[in-house]
Amino acid sequence: MTHTLHRTGKIEDLREDFPMLTHVSRGFNDVGAGERLKQMAEIARKYTDLNFGDCKVANQFMMPAEEIMERHTVGWQVVFKDKTSLIACMRELKEKNIGISVVVSGLFDEVFDCCQKAGIDPPLVEFALGIHGNQEKISPPEILDFVTMCGHGLVSGHLVKKMVEEIEKKKITIEKAAIELAKPCLCGVFNPHRAAKLLRKMVRP
Amino acid sequence: MRIDQEKCVGCERCVSYCPVGAIHVRKDGGKTKKRSWIDEDECVECGVCLRANVCKPEAIYLPELGWPRIVRRAFSDPMVEHKETGVPGRGTEEMKTNEVTGRFKRGSWGMAVEVGRPGVGARLKDLETIAMALAEKGILFEPKNPVMFLFEDPKTGKLKPELREEKVLSAIIEFVVKPHQLKDVFEVLRKASERVETVFSVDLISFPDEKEFALGVAREMGFPVYPNGKVNLGLGRVLNR
Repeated sequence: MTHTLHRTGKIEDLREDFPMLTHVSRGFNDVGAGERLKQMAEIARKYTDLNFGDCKVANQFMMPAEEIMERHTVGWQVVFKDKTSLIACMRELKEKNIGISVVVSGLFDEVFDCCQKAGIDPPLVEFALGIHGNQEKISPPEILDFVTMCGHGLVSGHLVKKMVEEIEKKKITIEKAAIELAKPCLCGVFNPHRAAKLLRKMVRP
Repeated sequence: MRIDQEKCVGCERCVSYCPVGAIHVRKDGGKTKKRSWIDEDECVECGVCLRANVCKPEAIYLPELGWPRIVRRAFSDPMVEHKETGVPGRGTEEMKTNEVTGRFKRGSWGMAVEVGRPGVGARLKDLETIAMALAEKGILFEPKNPVMFLFEDPKTGKLKPELREEKVLSAIIEFVVKPHQLKDVFEVLRKASERVETVFSVDLISFPDEKEFALGVAREMGFPVYPNGKVNLGLGRVLNR
């Protein structure tokens, strides 16, 4: 599943958006993987508290992170907003050498720079080659930037519009609206920090 | 998903949570009371409305789903692992664990076409349109991908007929492309782009030092290359004894 690929947005916004995922490999390192995933999650969560989840369980806005960690299935997800934290996390994951696969998404230039600083030589990359087909059905860019933060397509463009309306009516704060948008994305790869910044741009004064 | 019309109070809180806009509001039989209802033909059974936990009278519920409707849920709700497909989720481990599995080899590229993404959803007949066109060019699909259980004949990409009109949030075709197949594949996808009712996203998996050739062909064929994507850090290893 390519759920952290195809994120749209302006370059300056994508500079604050780095999802990280771990994934167990069935038949190769799945025996006793729960404890290893938990160790790795504890490392990652020292460096970011923006979001955390397991798509077969829940994200941190639906269930306490500690409970998610006790119920890990095949992997977990977090998201970073800055390279400093990401590099520190990558360094520690490499040093601890726990043995479960890790994938980081983001601007290639930025992610490769992080890899170099963390002493990591990535063996494989995945490129997004665009959206094709009936273009009339695609949400406008300002909505798509939210929708594509959940690769499973669980964040509704209608909910984005509703949150903007409710912020304008002062029924909800920008920060709470960003978290409301993060809730449907079970994996925990939705970036509430970026969402809040995008909402701020959309709200009329 | 369904909404119990006796319990619904017409507050409309659930409406905006539906990723495919399948929840609507109507006046109940000419009366003044409003009720929300779900267009079952459009609903992809993703469960977002239920998990949103915004329905105070608990009117939203998941009915028992039989074949072929259960396919909607399998390809829309990431929490589901069901017996008909035998594989959880919409895809596979693909490049995420390649340093452990060695699934992708040098000298070829992994590709995936995801119909319905981003955020639109798709009738499975669009998946069939693309799969059949790729199969005609000799493309073999990844056997572990759950879409393989939907095909009447995986070699031709023909779907089981009862599935053609089923709607899902997305479904992925995964395959490996050799250098001489790249242009054909991009040409197939370019033509399919004009035939399908929905949208589809395309991705390409490569060893870092082998990317330029494939990306060059992609650009030449009119496919944009995003500046962002996925990077496997290579930290996995075989641990099972």
